[in-house]
Amino acid sequence: MKTRRDFVKTTLAIGATVSIADFGKLFAAESQTPATSTLPAETGPKPVLVAVRDGDRVAMLDKALAELGGIQAFVKPGQTVVIKPNIGWNASPERGANTHPSIVGHLTALCLSAGAKSVSVFDNTCDQWQETYKNSGIEKAAKDAGAIVVNGKDETLYREVAIPNGIKLKSAKVHSLILDSDVFINVPVLKHHQATLMTACMKNLMGIVWDRGSWHRTDLHQCIADVLTLRKPALNIIDAYHPMVRNGPRGKTVEDVVEMRTLLASTDIVAIDAAAAKLLGHTPSDITYVKIGHEMKLGRMDLENVDVRRHKLA
Amino acid sequence: MCAATSWLNLVPRNPLKLARVATAILVFTGLTIAFVDFRGFAPVHLGHVLAHAQFVPGFVSLLAGAIGTVFFVVGLIIALAIGRIYCSAICPLGILQDIITRIAGWFPRKKKFLPFAKPQTAVRQVFLWGTVAAIVAGWGGFALALVDPYSNFGRIVSTLARPLLTVANNSLVGLANAAGSQSLYRVEAPWAVGGALLLPAIFLTLVAVMSALRGRLYCNTLCPVGTALGMLSKFAAFRIAIDKTACTKCGDCLRSCKAQCIDLRAGTIDASRCVACYNCVGVCEHHGIGYRFSWKKKPATAKAITATAATSLTANDPQRRAFLASIAGGVAASSVVLNRARAALPSDEITPALVRSGEASRAICPPGSKSQDQFLDRCTSCHLCVSACPTHVLQPALLEYGVEGLLKPRLDYTSAFCLFECTRCIEVCPDDALSLPDLATKQVTQIGVADFHQSRCIVEVNGTDCAACSEHCPTKAVTTKPFRDNLRLPSLDQSLCIGCGACEYACPVKPTKAILVTGRRVHARAEKLVEKKATAPAQTGDFPF
Repeated sequence: MKTRRDFVKTTLAIGATVSIADFGKLFAAESQTPATSTLPAETGPKPVLVAVRDGDRVAMLDKALAELGGIQAFVKPGQTVVIKPNIGWNASPERGANTHPSIVGHLTALCLSAGAKSVSVFDNTCDQWQETYKNSGIEKAAKDAGAIVVNGKDETLYREVAIPNGIKLKSAKVHSLILDSDVFINVPVLKHHQATLMTACMKNLMGIVWDRGSWHRTDLHQCIADVLTLRKPALNIIDAYHPMVRNGPRGKTVEDVVEMRTLLASTDIVAIDAAAAKLLGHTPSDITYVKIGHEMKLGRMDLENVDVRRHKLA
Repeated sequence: MCAATSWLNLVPRNPLKLARVATAILVFTGLTIAFVDFRGFAPVHLGHVLAHAQFVPGFVSLLAGAIGTVFFVVGLIIALAIGRIYCSAICPLGILQDIITRIAGWFPRKKKFLPFAKPQTAVRQVFLWGTVAAIVAGWGGFALALVDPYSNFGRIVSTLARPLLTVANNSLVGLANAAGSQSLYRVEAPWAVGGALLLPAIFLTLVAVMSALRGRLYCNTLCPVGTALGMLSKFAAFRIAIDKTACTKCGDCLRSCKAQCIDLRAGTIDASRCVACYNCVGVCEHHGIGYRFSWKKKPATAKAITATAATSLTANDPQRRAFLASIAGGVAASSVVLNRARAALPSDEITPALVRSGEASRAICPPGSKSQDQFLDRCTSCHLCVSACPTHVLQPALLEYGVEGLLKPRLDYTSAFCLFECTRCIEVCPDDALSLPDLATKQVTQIGVADFHQSRCIVEVNGTDCAACSEHCPTKAVTTKPFRDNLRLPSLDQSLCIGCGACEYACPVKPTKAILVTGRRVHARAEKLVEKKATAPAQTGDFPF
């Protein structure tokens, strides 16, 4: 028989669970604007984009985060964090084919120092995953900093989810870390791309789904935009220290990268890619998925309506 | 206490047997690890070194005039010195049979032990000379792959045990992860398909039944390596023999013999079937059996010591000479055949090729194999490379190469591609079937050439961007060029293509891909595009936004 005390306990427990869940979603939902809603700029403050130059990667990351309110603005104590770098190719860090390990390592440490319950790192690699995790240097850097490095080639870790607001991508098998973690941080490297001209934040999210081939078959640019209607990263950081400017996204040798010593950070995934496109000498609207992202109001590519904060460290 | 004593009893007290068992355990464990290693734990050289000590890979090296010849010659010298120790201590299939025999011994059976049996000389000769005939006829690669005990063992472990272990691993991943450990991760079970799975299974069944019922029957009837080494062992300097002055005919040696080669009544041991396991030596309490130097001239009155009598083959000189001559003849003939095949290649000088060679290969053979013909001659299908391949692009062929290429590894691009930075298959290969000086050479070795079929390409058909092929291309043989309105169409330069299959693997077109690799019968050298340092986009020093 249920006593009144039991009833009160249960109710409180349920209430607490619900409020924690909501609380968690709040932060993740910071930029989870439904595709149908109006743009932040039209209703509220402009999205902030931080661009830092001429420092080492860690210093630039610290500067960018400080400008965005510190890592505490994104990670609350007890939250689970997933960091999605680009770990696509079996290449050493100098080749610029993957996010630099120092950025992944430092970001992991920052999240943990902010009280994150756990930090997980994964990618659905293009090359053989064990070799790629190892030779990119990311596995070691992330583990040393305290992250859990998770297999991105395990299909049982992916779950089929509906993407109701996608125009062509109506469902996808998405990695459970993306679906379940409280905080989602997107940390790609800036590169040339043979098909889309550029890959940075938006295209990096191809690594959160199991079957990339179906995106290629369906309509690459549209699918890249569509998946953002499921969940947008709370924070996007682009490693443009030495972007690969040709033969992307795999690259051949270190000759394919140029030194730019830049790092971008923003909560607006379209704005940050628009800025990245300009770094590579493109007009943002030349990158079809950026244009689609803007049109779908997933963010904005018109940088004049973005609060761009520029810093030079040297 | 009691249990400890009984375990101690398992350690052989006879030093010969102890050495044999210890070596066997090391070799068997090492090779098993190398063949089941789905995580790349084992050092690359573990399998390579142990496999090099194997008879047939060494024999292939001899025919090819390759470095492994040394191991083969050493093996022959050892056999001529002390008999078929290979069969007991080095051959993994032999050791596997001992394990099966031992397990079978745990079950009750009618006969308490295996009595002396007459040799199956005719069967042995048919299998041995059949193999030699096949080599002479140019089917050596096929025949050796079928009969090599080491390669058969490799296929059993690689094809059957490795996927089973992977399944076991996968079932534990959930538990490990729940316990907060990421040390285990799920790996796709590498099941071979159809016949590639069936053939090793049938072979294992055959060997298991034979060894469970009759000990080393397989080795002493069907195995040509056993027969060849048996012939040498008959003339070994040291042979296991019975000391009639010490022998009490108690039968302990007979009961311990798995080769059924001790004829206690006659007081002789058939050296051609003795696998030098030293069970009899260890078990004889009267020191009545052991190695005897047997190259001494037989005393007219052989009373105290009887050297091993030849029961299976008469040991008179003319026959012996005929045997040795025919062995030498067989080796020489097959060597000529293989070397002619080799000479038919454009030597090791790989010529630049912009245009595809006249004949396309029926299957894509691994880098380092130089040509399909040489590969099929030299590879014994041990599948060490199949086990070691980190992407599992290497798969056993069924009839892709034709009958003669049954079970030989081929590159299958449906679910994997050859990793540009990897030479693992070449590093582990014990047969000299795969060899290349370095990674840089592999990266320009054209094992096949891609063909782009624009009419099937997503970009052409759907009018949307794709370029998955170009993304994956490591040499940038596949790039993209502007197409229609703001699209990028794949563009292929075959001279840069090495045939790694990354493009074919990545191509999302169904059911037939829009970019497909055709193997080269003779591997060629791809061109290498060397580019200068890239130049930065226009803006520098400031923010372009």
